Amino acid sequence: MIRYDYLKPSSLEEAIGLLKQYGGQAKLIAGGTDVMVDIRQKKYAPQVLISLRGIEGLSYIREEDGGLRIGALTTHRELEKSPLVRERLGALADAVDNLGSVQIRNVATIGGNICNAAPSADTAPPLLALGASVRIKGSEGERVLPLEEFFLGPGETALKDDEILVEFIIPSPPPNSASAYWKHTRRQAMDLPIIGVAMMLAVEKTEAPALKEAFGREAPLEELLGALDKSELVCQEVRLALGVAAPTPMRASKAEEFLRGKRVTQEALLQFGEIASSEATPRDTVRGAAWYRREMIKVLPKRLALKCLERILHKNQKEGGK
Amino acid sequence: MKEEFVNVGKPVPKKDAYEKAIGRATYIHDLKLPGMLYGKILYSRYPHARIVHIDTSKAEKLPGVKAVLTGYNIPEIRIGFYKDNTPLKKGKVYAMRDEVAAVAAIDPEIAEEALELIEVEYEPLPAVFDPEEAMKEDAPLIHEEHKTNVLRLPWKLVAGDVDEARKNSAYVVEDQFRVTRVTHCCMGTSGCVAVFDPQDNLTLYSITQIPYLAQRDFQEALKAMGLTGKKVRVIQTTIGGGFGSKLDTHCYEYIAILLAHRTRRPVKITFTREEEFKYTSPRQPAIIRIAQGCDREGKLTFRDVQMILDNGAHTSWGATTPSVMMMPISSLYKVPNVRYTAKCVYTNNTYCQAMRGYGNPQATFAIECSMDQLAEAAGIDPMEFRLMNANEPGEVTPQRFKISSCALKECIEAVGRMLNWKEKRGKRDGRGVGMASLIHVGGGARVYKSDGCGTIIKVDDFGKVDVFTGASDIGQGADTVIAQVVAEELGVRTEDVTVIDNDTDVCPWDVGVHASRTTFVACNSALGAARKVKAEILKLAALALAEPEDQLVMKDRVIYSKRNPEKKIELGKLLRGAHYTRRGKMIMAEYFYDPDNEMLDKEFKGNFSMAYAYGAHGVEVEVDKETGQVKILKYVAAHDVGKAINPMLLEGQIYGGAMMGIGYALTEQMIFQDGEMKNPNFLDYKILTAKDVPPMEAEIIEPWEEYGPYGAKGIGEPGCVPSAPAIANAIYDAIGVRIKDLPITPEKILAALKEKEKS
Amino acid sequence: MRKQISFLLNGEKVEVEVEPHWTLLYLLREVLELTGAKEGCGMGECGACTVIVNGKAVVSCLFPVMEVEGAEVWTVEGLAETSPGGLHPIQRAFIDNGAIQCGFCTPGMIMSAKALLDENPNPTEEEIKTAIEGNICRCTGYIQIIRAIEAAAKGGSDEGGVR
Repeated sequence: MIRYDYLKPSSLEEAIGLLKQYGGQAKLIAGGTDVMVDIRQKKYAPQVLISLRGIEGLSYIREEDGGLRIGALTTHRELEKSPLVRERLGALADAVDNLGSVQIRNVATIGGNICNAAPSADTAPPLLALGASVRIKGSEGERVLPLEEFFLGPGETALKDDEILVEFIIPSPPPNSASAYWKHTRRQAMDLPIIGVAMMLAVEKTEAPALKEAFGREAPLEELLGALDKSELVCQEVRLALGVAAPTPMRASKAEEFLRGKRVTQEALLQFGEIASSEATPRDTVRGAAWYRREMIKVLPKRLALKCLERILHKNQKEGGK
Repeated sequence: MKEEFVNVGKPVPKKDAYEKAIGRATYIHDLKLPGMLYGKILYSRYPHARIVHIDTSKAEKLPGVKAVLTGYNIPEIRIGFYKDNTPLKKGKVYAMRDEVAAVAAIDPEIAEEALELIEVEYEPLPAVFDPEEAMKEDAPLIHEEHKTNVLRLPWKLVAGDVDEARKNSAYVVEDQFRVTRVTHCCMGTSGCVAVFDPQDNLTLYSITQIPYLAQRDFQEALKAMGLTGKKVRVIQTTIGGGFGSKLDTHCYEYIAILLAHRTRRPVKITFTREEEFKYTSPRQPAIIRIAQGCDREGKLTFRDVQMILDNGAHTSWGATTPSVMMMPISSLYKVPNVRYTAKCVYTNNTYCQAMRGYGNPQATFAIECSMDQLAEAAGIDPMEFRLMNANEPGEVTPQRFKISSCALKECIEAVGRMLNWKEKRGKRDGRGVGMASLIHVGGGARVYKSDGCGTIIKVDDFGKVDVFTGASDIGQGADTVIAQVVAEELGVRTEDVTVIDNDTDVCPWDVGVHASRTTFVACNSALGAARKVKAEILKLAALALAEPEDQLVMKDRVIYSKRNPEKKIELGKLLRGAHYTRRGKMIMAEYFYDPDNEMLDKEFKGNFSMAYAYGAHGVEVEVDKETGQVKILKYVAAHDVGKAINPMLLEGQIYGGAMMGIGYALTEQMIFQDGEMKNPNFLDYKILTAKDVPPMEAEIIEPWEEYGPYGAKGIGEPGCVPSAPAIANAIYDAIGVRIKDLPITPEKILAALKEKEKS
Repeated sequence: MRKQISFLLNGEKVEVEVEPHWTLLYLLREVLELTGAKEGCGMGECGACTVIVNGKAVVSCLFPVMEVEGAEVWTVEGLAETSPGGLHPIQRAFIDNGAIQCGFCTPGMIMSAKALLDENPNPTEEEIKTAIEGNICRCTGYIQIIRAIEAAAKGGSDEGGVR
């Protein structure tokens, strides 16, 4: 066992002060499900762990300016149980539903997941697809960064030595939009994604009777796609984010550009997926082959688009239609 | 036989479930002895290298370190049935898992620190990781003194004339299948505690599945250590899973013994999960070529199988799996002509052990996939094809197995019914059904010269029964079924019977918990002793009640007369009366049961077991053609068990076996690169979780085995034997693509679908 | 350097000196002699070390001991000791439904089940599977474990709640 001291500051200022004091000898710990494993595997041997769990006011989910603010110390379990997250942030709800296990979700935090910056971080593609930014506090003050700029490499973030990620800012979503996340795994629990795909899709109208009907009776994929083609829905806005497809979680911006303003059809979604696949740089790893990851990037986006549309139409249904 | 039993056939809770449920069972990890030291092992850094120099001086000087051992400061102890292994390696390392040095210290942290202070200088040698490569002329030799990488093992079985039969077959299929390394994943990792007494007698606290054979192995080790005429006592703690992983004695056990002797203190070695994955022996992989044929009507004519087994760098039971693979090859379905050869080849990979099924799942994968291929060639429905060729009671197979009870046809039909076979089969629309059968030994197995098990029973003054059995409980429920049959025989309740099964000083000999033999052999043994005890009790009762013995019944802890039921006496009272008197008697009996089965002869023929278990599994799958993912819509199993002594525990064996089999089929594999295991953890070794459980249905079929205790046969292994081929066959039915190497991953399916599209 | 922590363990107040780098699992097994929670992997991937902290199931092998200060911790031993007859209904259900074979995963399974039923006394089969998705069992194939938890939920509601 590696020995370290364990400090539990009661305020952010105290925590930042400790970070400054210990420099590279200290490591921040929130839920601990990544840090404790890394220490056990001897990836690093800090002299001091600085716990964030004693700091009040870092764990919350609240509405602001039509969007949501999520405290970095919010656990995945709290996100899982939040009606607000489930209703507004479909992709994030999808991610936490299937992240680790209940035991892990009970202590692991969304801030920890993002700061660990693994290419496979399950909350990353959803947050990217939702257009999230991060608020960071350090000894030199506070700054806000788009999430795309936060990941610098596998395990590397834009945080300076004495900075702490404190909040996720999720902007108000476009009208008639929803998001979804697909975690492609080998088994149904306790798994990391072979590939992770998140999408936010906004369309210009919510009249799509054929599609609504097909969703209602849980029609197979082929039929759903057929109904989609009939529905003449135009993409107003789209964000597509991929995990385990590059050294960091990434946005497939070329694919997004392609789909914006176009009719959402099988054909378009196929091309959408192919462009995204060509933008990605997946590798061969123990967890999966690059060719297979590329194939999945091609075929999964249309399923995600359907999931988003199902949520848009269902929401519209709940809100009395338009 | 429609008898109403009180204990047998009932879902009696497992005897040790209570202490396990309240967290008070003592596993090897929980065991602490006064003065105990902690041992840790240093493993090789190369898959193949000369050991140039080992410097342990810094490690020895670390405060808290009590002993440091290497291959150079211990006596030579040759272990494994092929005698090609030693507890610590000297001169050379042959695989990444080779043990190079070991430390005993006052706590595990210091022991780990000491390992890092041991300096080993290696001279890497060229390595070979593929058995077919290793067979070539210019391949590096693993054990130079053997002059070849092919082991001298006699695996060859011939019955009838395969070549002739092939010529005369109407339909013939031939193909190659590959099965990979998977591992037991016992939730309790390996470990032991070794301690010597002042006279150099050894006690090993162990999780072994072979306490008495282990005694013998350790006696040999003591001899090599210059200790002759010493006693070896093996005490089993609660065992956190076996599945065959503990059917051999392992390097770490000898290391613990050597450290205990060197330090004169108890030494505990336990494995971390990473060590368990990297340094214990997995299931034997194989490359299997199989050809099968049938006549115009669909009757099987021949089966011709050749296998190449990657033996790894040393030899354990993996190399003997061919002796069990012969069983399905010769005796699953009626096949008059059979030929089988297997080559075991040294490589610088890890070496393999027994694992649930012991070669049967591997061979059955090839045989049952090939059966579907043959059925297709002959234009016969695969279920019909199996029924047509199914084994029947009373037949003698080409390996000279005498099949007594056999409900294979009923199992196949049950599976077909549960799956709705006729309706679901042949759609090729992304959904499909498939099935596969199994044969396994169910009435003991004469692997060793003895297949016996001893029991001693004593009944105390209060009518409580103590059963001392050589059998072991590894979680499967041996303790409970033994108690049930004894309770039934003696007219008491299962809770009145205590089973003691974990101490070689106290319990009689048993060959080990393998080959699904424990219910059959240990219960027959217990019944033998129980019948002797009963006879004694009836003699006493006849005197006490003044009634003839043949009128007496033992029931509900009471002995009463059938013709005069008011003439009765409570069991405890009878027994107290028997010994609280001059020339008193205590009721005790022993019985050593060695089943009337045969060791296989030089041609590997003989009635290996007294009874054979049969079964069939079926699966309905849905394949996502875009992603290659397989979803199991329904999984069904039908098992011919003779008689279910405890239906609840028996179901547990079927469900547990099936989930292990599904993992074998779809998700589990040990990934190696240059001899190093790359996924030594539960995240990347994909053992299935509760969320992966498919809708599952199991049917127990009880044709009553005449040689079995209350008609029972074995069930421990059959549950994981036919899963993989059933799933492979279902996938073929769903999408017309056959994956011939395990596991059947989405990548393989997608690649095969794309191949199919091209052509 | 040792630090003092104080917390509620199985309903009783405990004060103990710990090394800050210890995990809760280490404290329970090596110091407090509560060996029910097991180390199955040491990395939070198997659930054999599951205990309940402040009402939530956690993997104690990754739980820093310093975070236990002021918390309420329940282990499988405590469940038995504080139940009438020395056996909690969930433990009884496990025993009666064949949910225990080798038993190594059992303490963790039972605590995950307890955490579930405390929060959701009438779970669906899917909810039960989710609650134990982080508890690996190699012996039972999970089916009888799921049955046991269903039985405990039913039995519990007859007796007025599983407590």
